[in-house]
Amino acid sequence: MSAQRPLELILARNLLSSISTPAFLVSEHGELLYFNDAAAAMLGRRFEERGVMALEDWIAEFGPFGSDEAPIPNDVNPAAVALRNNQPFHGNFRICAAGGIRRDVAASAIPIVGAGGSSGGIVIFWPLD
Amino acid sequence: MRIKVWGARGSIPAPGPETMRYGGNTSCVELTLSDGSTLILDAGTGIRNLGLARVGGGPTQQPIHILLTHLHLDHIQGLMFFAPAFQPESEITIWGPVSPEASLCDRIARYISAPLAPVEVRELPSHVSFREVESLEWEVGSARVSACAVNHRGPTLGYRIDDGGTSLCYIPDHEPGLGAPLTELDDDWISGFELARGASMLIHDCQYTDAEYAKHIGWGHSPVSDALCFAHRVHAERVLLFHHDPMHTDEFLDALQSEVEAAWEALGGGGVKIELATERSEIVFGGHGAPVARDPAAESAAIRAGASRTAS
Repeated sequence: MSAQRPLELILARNLLSSISTPAFLVSEHGELLYFNDAAAAMLGRRFEERGVMALEDWIAEFGPFGSDEAPIPNDVNPAAVALRNNQPFHGNFRICAAGGIRRDVAASAIPIVGAGGSSGGIVIFWPLD
Repeated sequence: MRIKVWGARGSIPAPGPETMRYGGNTSCVELTLSDGSTLILDAGTGIRNLGLARVGGGPTQQPIHILLTHLHLDHIQGLMFFAPAFQPESEITIWGPVSPEASLCDRIARYISAPLAPVEVRELPSHVSFREVESLEWEVGSARVSACAVNHRGPTLGYRIDDGGTSLCYIPDHEPGLGAPLTELDDDWISGFELARGASMLIHDCQYTDAEYAKHIGWGHSPVSDALCFAHRVHAERVLLFHHDPMHTDEFLDALQSEVEAAWEALGGGGVKIELATERSEIVFGGHGAPVARDPAAESAAIRAGASRTAS
């Protein structure tokens, strides 16, 4: 029998789908499992268009990028830090929205730890521009 | 497989003339496997009569496995009144959800201890052991038991028991549609879906009408529409709606049964039997799924015999 998604991820997704703050839900391996409608508005793309994305794919498409437009390293990427260190992390950077539009954002990432250990994380965004 | 419902009520026992037919005891289902061994699903007040009937049936060396979905009082209240727990020859294994806060034994001991109870867990004369369950599978008798965390308040499990090609899925407290419409979610994003997929029998929460649910969102229980949607999506072969609200009288539940049947038909569930659980009912399912002819006189005699032996 294949397992359902960890319950804490199901609940997190349901929470994100109910709030108006842009947010990503990532798996423990960094896959982008879901982003909400507020994030879709920020990115100019709907989750239903993209589906689940591998870590390298969503980073290549959405960022994060530094002010010099270069991809920022994983040691300051909030999602990567939260998952790797199992601790919250906050950072400012740029993302790439539809049409190549760069947007400055602040982001906080929070790891999700269930009964079976780490199962992923939530990244919440605040547009700065 | 054969089940006997010893308690189908949710939240709090609801005895009285207005609940005589569906019953007032809280969650407890006895499952008899193909090899004759038994599993007990939850230990609400219904387990008291189960225990008496078991003791009244004469001595048995069969180990007792109690699978607790969670530790809300309506699922453990009967433990203190489970006659086999007071027999030195009984071997009882209690399975339940893990919590980061305290062990299963310690959490149950909060109920079986002063000032709520006259004895402590360690004083029970039977051999009681506790097994904490995360998401895993194990074997009991001829069955494979699977457990998975499901959406309710606090650590809560659903169970699936597979035995010789027949399966029972038991999720008595469940709010899978919290925060997102079930109709819009992919299967793997629905709490309990894999556990219930294609089950020969699904016993599922249906505490509220849709109108009542509006005032109870987030309480951990399903409205009728979500219970039916869940059952339909997992393609259960038979459905027993469970955990009746204590405010729902027999008359109310009779009317609800008619509404459920109509809604089920509209959903395309025709051909799959769906019914409200009734205390003391017995169902054999898988294979022909024939109803069991009850013998209330023999049942009462066994309970009286158990009560007599326990009192002596």
